[in-house]
Amino acid sequence: MSAIPRRSSHHAEPGTGRGGFGRSLRAEWTKFRTVRGWVVALTAAALVTVLLGLLSASSGHASCGAGPVEVACPPPLVGPGGEAVDDKFYFVHRPLVGDGGITVRLTSMTGQIRKPDVTPGRRNVVPGLVPWAKAGVMIKESTRQGSAYAAVMMTGEHGVRMQHDFTHDVAGRAGGVSRQSPRWLRLTRSGDTLTGYESVDGTDWTRIGTATLAGLPQTVQIGLFATSPGDLTVTQGDLGGSVAAARFTEATGEFDQVKLEGSTSGAWRDDDIGVTVGPDGVEHHPGRAGQSGGTFSVTGVGDIAPTIEGPTAERPLSGALTGLILVIVVAVMFVTAEYRHGLIRVTLLAGPRRGRTLAAKALALGLVTFAAALPAGAITFTVGGRILRGNGNAVLPVPLLTQVRIVVGMAVLFALAAVLALALGALLRRSVAAVVTAITVIVVPHVLATTSVLPDSAAQWLLRLTPAAGFATQQSVPQYAHVLGHYAPIAGFYPLPPWAGLAVLAGYTALALGLAVLRLRRRDA
Amino acid sequence: MQATIEVSGLRKRFGPTLALDGMSFTVLPGRVTGFVGPNGAGKSTTMRVILGLDAAEEGQALIGGRPYVGLRDPLTHVGALLDAGALQPSRTARNHLLWLAHSQGLDGRRVDEVLQQVGMRSAARRRAGGFSLGMRQRLGIAAALLGDPPVLMLDEPVNGLDPEGVVWMRGLLRSLAGEGRTVLVSSHLMSELEDTADHLVVVGKGRVIADTSVADLITTASRGRVTLRTAARSAAMSALGHAGATTAVTDHDTIVVSGLSSEHVVAVLNAGAVPFSEVATYRVTLEQAYMDLTADAVEYRGAAR
Amino acid sequence: MREHLHAEWTKLRTLAGTGWLLLAIVVLTVAVSVAASAVVSCASEGCGYDPAKIGLFGVQVSQAVVAILAVSAITGEYGTGMIHLTLTAMPRRVGVLAAKALILVGLTLIAGSVAVLASALATRRILLANGFPADMLLLTSGPMVRAAVGSVLYLALVALFSLGVATAVRDSATAIGVVLGLLYLFPALILMVADDDWQRLLWQISPMNAGLAIQATTHLSSLPLSPWAGLGVLAAWATAALLGGGLLLRMRDA
Repeated sequence: MSAIPRRSSHHAEPGTGRGGFGRSLRAEWTKFRTVRGWVVALTAAALVTVLLGLLSASSGHASCGAGPVEVACPPPLVGPGGEAVDDKFYFVHRPLVGDGGITVRLTSMTGQIRKPDVTPGRRNVVPGLVPWAKAGVMIKESTRQGSAYAAVMMTGEHGVRMQHDFTHDVAGRAGGVSRQSPRWLRLTRSGDTLTGYESVDGTDWTRIGTATLAGLPQTVQIGLFATSPGDLTVTQGDLGGSVAAARFTEATGEFDQVKLEGSTSGAWRDDDIGVTVGPDGVEHHPGRAGQSGGTFSVTGVGDIAPTIEGPTAERPLSGALTGLILVIVVAVMFVTAEYRHGLIRVTLLAGPRRGRTLAAKALALGLVTFAAALPAGAITFTVGGRILRGNGNAVLPVPLLTQVRIVVGMAVLFALAAVLALALGALLRRSVAAVVTAITVIVVPHVLATTSVLPDSAAQWLLRLTPAAGFATQQSVPQYAHVLGHYAPIAGFYPLPPWAGLAVLAGYTALALGLAVLRLRRRDA
Repeated sequence: MQATIEVSGLRKRFGPTLALDGMSFTVLPGRVTGFVGPNGAGKSTTMRVILGLDAAEEGQALIGGRPYVGLRDPLTHVGALLDAGALQPSRTARNHLLWLAHSQGLDGRRVDEVLQQVGMRSAARRRAGGFSLGMRQRLGIAAALLGDPPVLMLDEPVNGLDPEGVVWMRGLLRSLAGEGRTVLVSSHLMSELEDTADHLVVVGKGRVIADTSVADLITTASRGRVTLRTAARSAAMSALGHAGATTAVTDHDTIVVSGLSSEHVVAVLNAGAVPFSEVATYRVTLEQAYMDLTADAVEYRGAAR
Repeated sequence: MREHLHAEWTKLRTLAGTGWLLLAIVVLTVAVSVAASAVVSCASEGCGYDPAKIGLFGVQVSQAVVAILAVSAITGEYGTGMIHLTLTAMPRRVGVLAAKALILVGLTLIAGSVAVLASALATRRILLANGFPADMLLLTSGPMVRAAVGSVLYLALVALFSLGVATAVRDSATAIGVVLGLLYLFPALILMVADDDWQRLLWQISPMNAGLAIQATTHLSSLPLSPWAGLGVLAAWATAALLGGGLLLRMRDA
C-alpha cells in the first residue's frame, strides 16, 4: 500500500457518468454467479423445464384408424394463412371465368341438432340451428379443401356475414330469415377483389365488405353452399381438465331467384366437400341438394372455419411451471440472503443510491433468468413439437412469428416472475413469506385455473387479475369470434391476449419493485 | 479531495431513546482518531449515519464535503468495516471481494492485492462460511481497503482478533494514517486504542464529551495534580493543607496533591522541614481519564459493580 | 414428552406470526370458498360441479398457509441457530420433532375446523341461490360430513407433510418451494401427459389430487381412488416426509 492517490491504476475503465449503474449490474452478476447453489438451481430450472416438456411430448401417441390398420394421423388441413382449418360443406357450383358474380334470395334456413341421448341407443334429434350454421353464396379458388374463398352467408344466430379465407369475418345485418322476410345475398368478383352485398328487398343493396384474394386463378368456382358445425358440449374430466364433445348437426338453406353474371358455363355440379368416408366406403353424415324450378335446397354438415381442436404446439411447455418454482426460490434467496446475513449493508455501502442498486439487482436477475429460460423454452418448444408430430399427433400449425413470440414470451415470463419474486423478497425480507407469496400469485392461480374444478368464469378472472395472466403468452391458437369453442383456460385459451397478459405481470412486477425501493429508501438499513 | 469527516448536529431517535443528541465532530487526515464511548453511546449509529445507512432526523455528516450518498464509486473514497459477519457463507473470500470490486469499477488484480495485504492469500478460495471471527475481521478489513480509499472507518476492528492479529491491526492503522489517510476507529475499550490513536472523540449519551488529542486528554484529566512520596504523611498533609491544597492518600507513603504546582509543593515542604523522597507530576492512565469522562454517560452500568 | 410439548407450545405461541397465520387459514379458506361459490351456477340438472368441492374450494389455497406455519415451525430455528439451543435443552431429537408435530396438528385441526365449518355454512346459501338442489347441500348427509371432516384432516396432513420436508431440507425457502411444488404441480403434470394410464397413476400418487378426493360427493365411481384411500395417499406422503426428516435429524449434525 503506497500513498494516496493511486486509485486510478485499479480501475478497469475510466469513470464515466453512466458507469454507476453498469457497475452495480456487473457486481450483482458477480454476486449471482459466485454462489454455486443458485447457479445450479437455475440450471436445474432450465433442465427440468426441458426434460418434463420432452417427457410430456413423448408420452402422447396418436394414431388414426383407417380400417383395420392404424396409420399416423395426416397433417392437419391448412388454409391460405397457414392455420389449421375445417373445410367441409355442401357446394352447388359452376366454374366462373374472369369477373362475374352471383345473386340469390334466401327464403329459409332450417336444421337439426342431435342432443345427448335420453334413451340409450335412440338418437335424440331435435330441429334447430347451431349459432354458426351457415348457408349462402361462395366464390372459391377450387373445390380443393383449404383453398382460398370468400362467401356471403346467413348464420344460425349471428345474422348475415361475409367471411373469407377462414379467419376473416365481417358482420352484416343481424336477425334471421323466413319466407315472410327473405334475405338477398350477392357476391361479385373483379380481379382479385371480391365484394359482398346484402338486401332485404332485392333492390336496395348494402355493401358488407370486400376481400382481396391475391393470386386467385382466372377460373374459380361460384355457387351456393350450406354447412353446420357440431353442437359443442363441455363436461368436466374425471381427473381434472375438461372434455369437449361436438354432436352432429346439419343446416339447410332454401334459395331462389339465383342469378349469375359473367362467363359461367356448364351445368350446376354438386360436391360434398370434405365429406367423411367410412372404411366401408359409406359417406358419414352426407349433405345433399335439390333443385326444382329455380328453387335450390342445399343441406350441409361441417364447417368452414379455423379449427381450434387438436394438440397444441405449446403443450410441451407445461413443464415450465416446475422450473418456475425453482426460479422463484432462487430469486427470493438472491435478496433475502442479503438481509439474513447483513450483507445488505455492504451492498448499500458499495451502492448508496438504493433505488439504483435494487434496480441493478433486479435487472441482473432478470437477464440471467431470461438467458436461462430462452434456450430452455426454445429447445422444449421445437424438439417437443417435433416429438409430438413424430408420435403421430396432428399438432395445430403455428406461424413462425407466433412461435418466436411463445418462446421469447416464456423467457420474458420467467424473467418477470423472477423479478417479482425478488421484489417480494426485498419487501417482505423473509424468504418463506416471499416464496409462498410469489408461488401463490404466479403459479397457483394458473394451476387452479387450468386444472381444478373452478368454473370457467372464475378461472378467467384469475388469469386476468393475477400475475399468472402472463401465461397467456404461451397460447398458440388464437380465439376466433366466429368459431364456437370452449375458450376456457382449462382448454388452453387465456382471457387476455399474449402481450396484455405479460403486461399485467409486468405491472405487478413494477409495482412490487417500486414498493420495495420505497421501503429500502425509507428504512435504515 | 479534502478527506475529512465532518459531523455536525446529528440527532436521531429510536422510539423513546435519543440515540444521537447533537453529535458533532471533525476527523482529520494523517492520524488515527479513536471514537470511544460506552456501549450504546451512539458510536455505531453515528458511523452508519456517516455511511448513509441510517438517516438522521437533524444535522449532517459529510465526507470531504459531500454526503456519502453523493459519492461516485464510494468505496474508492471511504472504506468501512461495520460487521465482519456480513458475508454470504457460500461465497469464497475472493468472490466476496470480487463483486465489491466490480461494483466500483475495479478488477480482480486489486482483489488479490488486498487479500495479500491482510494475509489471506491462502484462504482466498475458501468459503467464507467456514471462517473464524478473526478471519472474517481480516476479510472485512480487506473489503475496506479494496478501493484504496483516503478515508477509513472501522467499527470495533480488533474484536475477535488473536494477540498477533491485534498487533498487526495496530501497525496497519498506524501505517494507513502515516500515508495521510483519515482513519476513524471505534471501540468501547480505551485500552485497545491506547497505543494506536493520536486523537480521540469521546462520546456518551449521543453527544461528544471530549474531542481532544490523547496527550491533552491525559493532561486535562490529571488536572495539574502532584504525586508526593513521603514517610511523614500526616506532617506533609497538614503543611499542604495550610497552604490551601487538597490532599488524598493513595498509598501508605503516597499522597496526591491538587491545587498547588510541584514547585509550590516542594517550597511548602521545605519551609515546614517535612522530609520527602519524590515529587512528580501526577499522570492518570488513558483508561482512568476515559472512565472519569464517561462516568455519568454510562447507560448500562452493571448493578453489581 | 410433556416438557417437550410444553416447550414447543411456548415457542410456537411466542412466534410473532403464528396467530396471524392461523387467522389467515380461516379467512383465506372462507373468502376463497365464497368467491368460488359465487361465480358458479348450476343452471340445469346436468351441471357437473360437485357442491362440496366448490363450497370448500378455499382449502386448496389455505393449504399454502398451513405449509408456511409448519415450515416456519422448524426452519425458523435453523435460520437463527436456535436449533442448537433447542437440541441442547432437549437432546432427544425425535421427541422434539414429535412434539412439534403434535402441536402443529392441534393448531391446524382447530383453525381448519373453524375454517371448514364457516366455509360450509357461508357457501351453502350462495350455492342454493345459484341453483344447486338443496338435497345436494344437506350438511348432515354422509358424503358432506365426510368432505368437511376430511378437509380438516387434509389440512392437518399437509402440516405434517410440510414439517417433515422442512426438517429434511432445513432451509426455509427450499422447503416451502418443495412443499408447494409437490402440492400444486401434480395437477398440472397430470394434464401434461396424454396417456390415460399414466394420468391415473399420477393422480393416484399426487398428494393434492388424491388427498382432495375426500371432498368428492358426486361422481365417486369415476374417481381413481375412493375418498378415504385418497386421503390415505396424502397420509403416506406425510409419514414418509416425517420419517425421512426424523431420520435425518437424528443422523445429521445439528
